[in-house]
Amino acid sequence: MSSYVDREWFFYLRGRELLLYKLLGGSSSERITQSGVFKTQQNELMYPDENIADGLRIEYTALNEPFIAESFEASTGYASGTGMSFDPGPAATISDSNDGFADTGKAFAQGDKIRVQGSASNDGDYTLSSSGTVDEDTLTITGTFTTEAAGERVTITQIPLEDATPDETSHANLNRMLSLALVDYLKAMEADKMGDIQKKEYYMKEFYGKLGDNESNKRKISMSFPIGPFAVR
Amino acid sequence: MTVLEIMERADMKETTLAIAYIKDAIHLIQSNSKEKVKVSKQDIIKSVDSDDNVYKFPADMIALEHVSIKDTSDSKYKRIKRLIAPPHYLLEDTSP
Repeated sequence: MSSYVDREWFFYLRGRELLLYKLLGGSSSERITQSGVFKTQQNELMYPDENIADGLRIEYTALNEPFIAESFEASTGYASGTGMSFDPGPAATISDSNDGFADTGKAFAQGDKIRVQGSASNDGDYTLSSSGTVDEDTLTITGTFTTEAAGERVTITQIPLEDATPDETSHANLNRMLSLALVDYLKAMEADKMGDIQKKEYYMKEFYGKLGDNESNKRKISMSFPIGPFAVR
Repeated sequence: MTVLEIMERADMKETTLAIAYIKDAIHLIQSNSKEKVKVSKQDIIKSVDSDDNVYKFPADMIALEHVSIKDTSDSKYKRIKRLIAPPHYLLEDTSP
């Protein structure tokens, strides 16, 4: 059994690989072999000595779903409540006894992609059927559900639907600020193509400026500085 | 914002090139900030030879955020620390 993993497990980055090590001693006093001991500074390490299903979790950024069928700001479908039940079908549906699927500005439409959270056994991402019933009390999906009665507080949120074959009508899977940063990037690349390095640098600066603005928009921090006695006022 | 709107604002006419540039830009955004984060899980195996502690990164990874290990005593994933240098006493254990 693995325990105190935050103190006893370590990783080392080697190119495209990640090497796992475990601290010898602590909760694990087992020493496999004398020669199987790695020393780093004062610590002794060994290879992992147990099987853990889904034991390694890596959180990372990726180029996933760069284009979507509907604008990021238009994905506003939302419903939450304790009256939602799941029926596997033949046509799998979610029913809401409180008719909460059609609130103004938060309604769902056929073909939308949704994320279910809070259910006992049906959490996950689904796509609404393009021909089945989608109204104030029923959402029909493509795929299947596990039968589940109402009771849990379930939240259903619309998420952007990927456009795997992007064209001029596709949307960038970014908010408006970052979409404007894309414009600067394209201008920079066009300037680069024309050999105008100064212009390219200007637009790249604008691009990074908007990335910074987008990040600072999430964090409101105010700073104050004392004014020096000889400062120009 | 649609691809066409972005192209018009940037005064570009080639759609395929614009789509390629947009992908490049999103790649840059993802390597500089955490706009969209993914999670990948792999089984940890008991090491019986020298390459059993080596795990591959997800093929689509741009930037690494966190590495965590499942603590089976309470079924929680806990962040682990990175070694800044490889263990220098022995570099490979052929018979762990």
